Amino acid sequence: MQKLRNIGFSCFGIALFLLAWEDAGRTLGPALLAAPSVVAGDYLALLRQGEMLRELAFSLRQMAVGFALACLVGMPLGAVMGRSRIADAIFRPWVSMFVVTSTAALIPLLIMVLGTGLALRITIVFLSAVWYIALTTYNGARGISPQQIATARSFSANSVQIFWKVVVPALYPYLLTGARIGLVHAIRAMVMAEMFVIIGYGGLIHRSGLLIETGPLLGLLVTLMIVSLLFNWLLREVGRRLAPWYEQQRVMA
Amino acid sequence: MNSVKLEVRDVSKRYGHNGAGLSVLENFSLSVSELEFLVLLGPSGCGKSTLLRIIDGIEACDTGQIVLDGRDVTGTTGGGRGMVFQSFELFPWRTTLDNVAFGLEVAGVGRKERTERAREYIKLVGLSGFENAYPHELSGGMQQRVGIARALAIKPTILLMDEPYGALDVQTRDLLQDELLDIWDKQRKTVIFVTHSIEEALYLADRIVVMSPRPGRIDRIIDVPFERPRRDAIKSTPQFLELRRDIWQSLKRGAHV
Repeated sequence: MQKLRNIGFSCFGIALFLLAWEDAGRTLGPALLAAPSVVAGDYLALLRQGEMLRELAFSLRQMAVGFALACLVGMPLGAVMGRSRIADAIFRPWVSMFVVTSTAALIPLLIMVLGTGLALRITIVFLSAVWYIALTTYNGARGISPQQIATARSFSANSVQIFWKVVVPALYPYLLTGARIGLVHAIRAMVMAEMFVIIGYGGLIHRSGLLIETGPLLGLLVTLMIVSLLFNWLLREVGRRLAPWYEQQRVMA
Repeated sequence: MNSVKLEVRDVSKRYGHNGAGLSVLENFSLSVSELEFLVLLGPSGCGKSTLLRIIDGIEACDTGQIVLDGRDVTGTTGGGRGMVFQSFELFPWRTTLDNVAFGLEVAGVGRKERTERAREYIKLVGLSGFENAYPHELSGGMQQRVGIARALAIKPTILLMDEPYGALDVQTRDLLQDELLDIWDKQRKTVIFVTHSIEEALYLADRIVVMSPRPGRIDRIIDVPFERPRRDAIKSTPQFLELRRDIWQSLKRGAHV
């Protein structure tokens, strides 16, 4: 019942927003702000034309490479930092520094080193996501209850067994959260990088921005939003399937 | 029957940096006989849980020795010790079966054999049918049954129980006490059981070590006279009530020190 009411309020909010947007769009005209009714038409045209989805698939494939690398590096890095004082001392200053640095500001430098090809885009995606993944994992690793480790030791588990049978499963919710936060940053970085070198989905947004119509541009943004939300939801569902105990844990924590 | 199973020799423990803080145990010595059911009884903060964790080897002591079956086992775990924890300490990502099999798994017992043995102990604690349940799907009493099965599955020669029923309601506690006595009857082994409940101590123990706090030391040792098997009815006998009052006086005296 409560849930139904919340959904009702959410729908009401969206409807109110769309109405305001429609009104503003009609006042300002499609060159400044296309109204939802106009965007809807342009959106269907974009779908039929096929370029939007083609570019999106192209971009997401490259983003996936950078994101996967970020997980492969960020998760072990965070776990080791959280469990070893020495690793913490060595890496944390760098991680803390990079996480607050805008990746966009690094792009000119990266272009000089890597050129404007695939390596650049993958690197940007990687750099935007990896620190969030590492820090989320790090916090999880630090928070592992000493009693859980003691319990494993009580049953004579050695340190390798403790790592794989206690630390890794206990980290699982944090790995998942880290991946979800990292993915959102990875998608943002993908678009940003592509707008710099005008390729893929970001390039498409850039080109649409040069038109005197805002309808297609807004359509592209809507698709991007949908994709981000969808991936986020997908990761959560995968997590739920793989670890039925996870949701309950979160409620108790 | 009266050979020595475990000896605690002059164990001292302080908390805080470099042992500068609170003294929890000071030159604590105790001898536990083979197949004895020993209860460590005392108010919270008397060091009884710390002592048990030192005996198990998951906590270090500053000085002193733990001798098990004549061997110095200070600071190590295993060697026939099985531990049951106050807040169950099951792994939330493991099912009942995998939790009970944990000790066997880390000992390198093969999947088939450890599954078989885990099922056997799940049955012993009356949880058949819940093999695939996760801890969050079980009640507190059931979770502690899993904890007991996990400790028994490694076939310990000495069972260490750290206020195992402290987190449970009274009815569940009474039920589990009887179950424990039944299991103990079937599989005799040395037990060290920590509690702050006088009644629980009298109901379960062969011998009660009453401890007083700061630093934890032995106030007195009581041989419990009741015949086994024991049933709930003994809790209202005059002898039981007299002993309970007597121990209560000791604890109260200790609390003022």
